[in-house]
Amino acid sequence: MAGTIAVEVVPDDLALRQERRARALAEMEADGIDILILGREGNARYVAGVPRLWTAGSRPFTPGCVLVRETGDVHLLSTWDEGVPDDIPHEHLYGITFNPMNMVEVLQGVAGATTATRVGTDSLTPMFSKLLPMAFPAATVVDGESTMRRARRVKSAAEVAEIRTSVRVAERCLAVAEKRFAPGVSERQLTAAFMEEMALAGVTTPSSQDVAWITSPTHPWHHGDRDRAVAEGDVVVLAGGVIRGGYTGELARTHVAGGGRPALLDRLEDLRGRLLDACRPGRPTADLLGAYAAAGVEPPPAPVARGLGLGFDLPIVTADLAETADADIFEPGLVFALTTYVWEEGVGAAMATDPVHLTERGPELLSEPSPEDDQ
Amino acid sequence: MPAGLMERVAPLSIPATADFDRMRADRLARVRANMAASGLDAIVLLGNTNVVYATGATWPLGDPGRANFEQPVAVVLADDEWPHLFTPLADDTGLPADHVHGPVYLDLDEGVRRFESELAALVAPGAKIGVDEWTFAMSRESKLLFPDGRPPSDGGKTVTKAKAIKTPDELSVLREALRITEVGIAAVQAQLAPGVRQMDLTATFLASVFDAGADANTLDPIWQVMPPSMAEGPWTTHGDLACPLLTTERELQRGDVLWVDTSLTYKGFHSDFGRTWIVGQDPSDRQRAQFDTWKAIVDAVLDVTRAGVAQSELLAAARAVVGGETPWMTHFYLGHGLGIDAAEMPYVGSDLGEQFDSSHALEAGMVLVLEPLVWDDGAAGYRAEEVIVITEDGWEPMTDYPYDPF
Repeated sequence: MAGTIAVEVVPDDLALRQERRARALAEMEADGIDILILGREGNARYVAGVPRLWTAGSRPFTPGCVLVRETGDVHLLSTWDEGVPDDIPHEHLYGITFNPMNMVEVLQGVAGATTATRVGTDSLTPMFSKLLPMAFPAATVVDGESTMRRARRVKSAAEVAEIRTSVRVAERCLAVAEKRFAPGVSERQLTAAFMEEMALAGVTTPSSQDVAWITSPTHPWHHGDRDRAVAEGDVVVLAGGVIRGGYTGELARTHVAGGGRPALLDRLEDLRGRLLDACRPGRPTADLLGAYAAAGVEPPPAPVARGLGLGFDLPIVTADLAETADADIFEPGLVFALTTYVWEEGVGAAMATDPVHLTERGPELLSEPSPEDDQ
Repeated sequence: MPAGLMERVAPLSIPATADFDRMRADRLARVRANMAASGLDAIVLLGNTNVVYATGATWPLGDPGRANFEQPVAVVLADDEWPHLFTPLADDTGLPADHVHGPVYLDLDEGVRRFESELAALVAPGAKIGVDEWTFAMSRESKLLFPDGRPPSDGGKTVTKAKAIKTPDELSVLREALRITEVGIAAVQAQLAPGVRQMDLTATFLASVFDAGADANTLDPIWQVMPPSMAEGPWTTHGDLACPLLTTERELQRGDVLWVDTSLTYKGFHSDFGRTWIVGQDPSDRQRAQFDTWKAIVDAVLDVTRAGVAQSELLAAARAVVGGETPWMTHFYLGHGLGIDAAEMPYVGSDLGEQFDSSHALEAGMVLVLEPLVWDDGAAGYRAEEVIVITEDGWEPMTDYPYDPF
């Protein structure tokens, strides 16, 4: 499969690369950006279609990929050509550097650098805000992240298929963790089970590394020691995700150790149904917060919806960003992780995260029904 | 088979357990001293590892893209011994309750406006605030960080400088991160055989290290099959080796030369591990000679390594063993720091240049990962990594993994 890693590292599928790059170029045009410099891996992957070495955690901005509007040329930070398609020629590859002045030299070599008037980046550091004018003397540095967000927000059919495939892998891994789930097992061991299965499935990059969470009956949002073993009656959230072909697939389910079905899980199902009903094309994403309120449930501090795609994708819906959600409209083609969360004093927290593709007709789950749904 | 690095020197400066409260206090004192030296009243930190350093908060690091959805943010004030943490995470922080705040979303304008109002309550009007990085939402919406529209000064440097020197508590935690890594590596090495896929090694590594106490895997593990000659490998920008290359489902074959590189985190510390393995057979005489040369390079470098020595002296010592050649990857370095980040200061032998290396000296408490290599075109080569801590009169080993099958 293109864009993934079987026995050879290959670039993302040609059609996928072309449609994504065309959308990025169209949004650059709309913003009048001459040269777009991308540091975020998701943005770079979107434009270049090249799998690069994965590392965990945020990274400060550094020019990882450069897109030139006039020519459509891509320059890519890659010291070698493995996994690099022919449309990024050798002379457009530049190597790893620890010397910012060497990076300036690379940028000076981009065609049109001296005449560009608008250069976009997806974030900035104090150092690069000083260095960029040396490479682009005529340019104003502008927001290129919002440019990329518009390009990436609505997913094409091919992208939805990619995310669906990633969700399949996450499901397979979660099923293994669920099989391991029983009183006595520790959070760490459940995470280990998920990660092992992920690699056996041919994917070595997780989206999160916090698979198991023994929730607290006394605090609505509390994570204890990860060495703790699951005890009879614990309400445990199993949440996992993978990055495959660059695309994130995530889901979460809740289980009670030793069996049993507290009313909490019924409340979870009720709210989950309300939230899915609230995913309606043309309506504001704030309807999700409304659904929480209507059910009388306090939303979690984490987002109740966040985009699934390459890295950071819209929408992002959380009680802390109520105005944003009021103005943000559910559009067909959005793909997001929808989180249902209910906490009950004396019982614990139940959480479900569903990968949702919003179509003209409403929400489509990209996951298979979980075993619990059949009951 | 030679034993690991501790055969040569016993580690003395690494306590068995760490005092985390003391570790946090020591770090904050350093950061605040650096802030005072830079005239900063406050710093705002977004970078995951900067937040780890400044607050002591740790969490299993996720994909870089996820950081923008769930990004803990730290604020350090010049006149407050405790840092402020804005966090979406449910973990205990060990900070006073009034220093722990709900999440902020600095990628969105509304998130920045909310943060701005909380920040205004923490700093005096006209306070000089540094940041490590910023989003465009921050430059649009924050007048505190962008007074007069000008970019803020570099607040990240206060952490970069502080974290290079490790306290005994920090060395103790880092040692545990390295030990957990070695547990995983030993399980992988036991599995190594013809027919095993590269990804199977990753599966074993991940299962073992999480079980052994790792908080997160932080580098897609590398088990690179080295081509006998450079010409058989991928094209590179500099004409040097292509490494590290991504792991695939390729099946290993007898005689494959594997270059191994992994990293994980434990309580906020990154580990690093590197060795060369041969699949299913013993090394040939030529391969043993490669290892002997590699060992001679490490020994020569260690002989000159101590606090106060210019980094360039390490480079000269390494080169002298191989007739003036450069025995490390030119897109990396002979050595790099390790701790809060997988690679941090000091960088020894990087493209920062000879001038940089001759004007920078090692300091006691710096952790150095030495990663020279021997390339023997036609017969691949040997590369491994040793982790040491610099002391006043020399160095001490942080790792003791053997060199099997060499």
